[in-house]
Amino acid sequence: MKQPLLALVELNKYYGDVHVLKDVSFDINEGEFLTLLGPSGCGKTTLLRCIAGLERIQSGDILLAGTSIKELAPNKRNVNTVFQNYALFPHFNVYDNVAYGPRMKKSMGEAELKTKVAEVLELVQMSGYEQRMPHQLSGGQRQRIAIARALINEPAILLLDEPLGALDLKLRKHMQTELARLQRKTGTTFVYVTHDQEEALNMSDRIVVIDQGQVQQLGSPREIYNNPANLFVTSFIGDRNIFPVEVLQVGDDYSQVRLGEDVVAVRSSPSARGALSADDEAVLAILMDKMRISCEQMDNAFRGEVVSIHYAGSQIRIEVRVAGRILTVVEYQKLECECQVGDSVFVSWEESGAYLLPQEDGWEERGL
Amino acid sequence: MKTWKRNLLAVPILVWIGLLVGIPMVLVVALSFLSRDHLGNIVYQFTLDNYRRVLDPIYLRVFLNSLLLALLTGLITLLVGYPVAYITSNLPPRRRALALGLIMLPFWISSLLRTYGWMILLGNAGLINNVLLALKIIDKPLPMMYKFSTSLVGTAYMLMPFMIVAVFNSVDKLDRSLLEASYDLGASKWKTFFHITVPLTLPGIAGGFTLVFIPALGLYFVSDLLGGGNTVFLGNLIHTMATRGRNRPLAAAFSMGMIALVLMVLSLYMKASKDKTGEGLFQ
Repeated sequence: MKQPLLALVELNKYYGDVHVLKDVSFDINEGEFLTLLGPSGCGKTTLLRCIAGLERIQSGDILLAGTSIKELAPNKRNVNTVFQNYALFPHFNVYDNVAYGPRMKKSMGEAELKTKVAEVLELVQMSGYEQRMPHQLSGGQRQRIAIARALINEPAILLLDEPLGALDLKLRKHMQTELARLQRKTGTTFVYVTHDQEEALNMSDRIVVIDQGQVQQLGSPREIYNNPANLFVTSFIGDRNIFPVEVLQVGDDYSQVRLGEDVVAVRSSPSARGALSADDEAVLAILMDKMRISCEQMDNAFRGEVVSIHYAGSQIRIEVRVAGRILTVVEYQKLECECQVGDSVFVSWEESGAYLLPQEDGWEERGL
Repeated sequence: MKTWKRNLLAVPILVWIGLLVGIPMVLVVALSFLSRDHLGNIVYQFTLDNYRRVLDPIYLRVFLNSLLLALLTGLITLLVGYPVAYITSNLPPRRRALALGLIMLPFWISSLLRTYGWMILLGNAGLINNVLLALKIIDKPLPMMYKFSTSLVGTAYMLMPFMIVAVFNSVDKLDRSLLEASYDLGASKWKTFFHITVPLTLPGIAGGFTLVFIPALGLYFVSDLLGGGNTVFLGNLIHTMATRGRNRPLAAAFSMGMIALVLMVLSLYMKASKDKTGEGLFQ
């Protein structure tokens, strides 16, 4: 079996009494773009800082290419970080900022350093900015310099802590493409922290979803989007209608559930298969943009009443009350049925957009 | 019109400075060019004699003493005060407030009393000598009073809080993520301190140095009491000339000399603080 580049083994981290990382274990493969995704305060940044050595872990181990690095100081670890606020040294110009790592480690002479700095600046498309001071650069430019300053050290892993958080939307989109390009070009392993699902889905080879200091799911963007492992992931990724239903019958692939008067067949999640049986309460999650509204009666649909219709540019958002619950339907093309507020309609969905999950204690209180 | 109205707000402070700083200053300058009779009364007759005496090599010694005292005071307060300020700013909030309070506490007591405190501590029959004698570590008192170094210790002690507060303010503003970035890029703690922390807190260092250096030039009662007048400093000299010496014009001329020294230091400070980004410090 191929050895992972970085192995996290049952990491535990406390701040005082607060347990911020709980038995976190997973592997990071060489050359991949891995994203740690979760809401703020979930422990993703702490996890990144533990890998960088800026935080100590109370138990567990961190293995870089098979060797434990948990006791090493940050300056002895072959990983580099791009900080959220870039942390460029304000008293150095771009050249000296980028040259800082090699100079501190005395890893090359000034002549070689000069070529090397030119190389990485070229890589991040910032050639010619050597003499600028950080305060003379825009946010996006600082970002690029921060990346260059880290990459010049040729780290085994580049850690990025919400690097696009401070940029405006347009620049953020651009930098997403740019980061993906840099990652492919250098072949460096990227570990990327974000709370933005779109960023994560766009750039990553694999995503680790974290909540309350625990890994919730690890998988490719497609897996995580289509087959969320539990209610947290279901609610955190993708825009879904999530509501309780009554289970009538559980099958390997499909289950029959009832909401109000309507009985429908939906995909069972792996976790639903073992845990659910007839007469249980379960949770049905349906992606809003895979739902349809029609005026005609049809199979596998909920009957409801239109509560509101919003035209938001390319999409139309329709709220429908079904058995006392409000479901949101997002349609992109012209509505199949010219409905008005108060009309009675039928709500159906593409099979792949719906997913049945077991009920979890207190999930509604947590605002999922 | 609006600017004119806004500038009106500055009038009280301008009047204040004009009355209490500007006019006395003009008087001192004027006085330094006047003569006196043998009783010490001022004679309104222009002369450059006073300045000639200021530049007399005999008094050069006094300028050098003062300069040395002020420089060493700045150095000592920096070496002692920087770590104190650095550690204080890294304390958790409650202990930090306590530490800052303790640093400020001496200001509640008259500085004259505190200087007498040093005499009680350092005198031949003082606390330290008594304890050492009682413990039979020494058999006769160590002479610790009335030396240059005694004045130095007293002056440095008196001005220490200024340095600590000035450095504290600039260390406190230091972005901690810059230090983390430095470790992350392979620098040890010491390298980080000298390449990142020191240059970025240079304005605080320069400010503290200025705040300490200037009063150290003129703090005459400390060197009077602790130095016993064995080393003559500018402050003592001016004080003596204006009072017992009954030569206020000469005292005024020496004051101008001291002001010249202060201006030199201030111009250095302006240079250091303008260079906030520290460009060229490590080339």
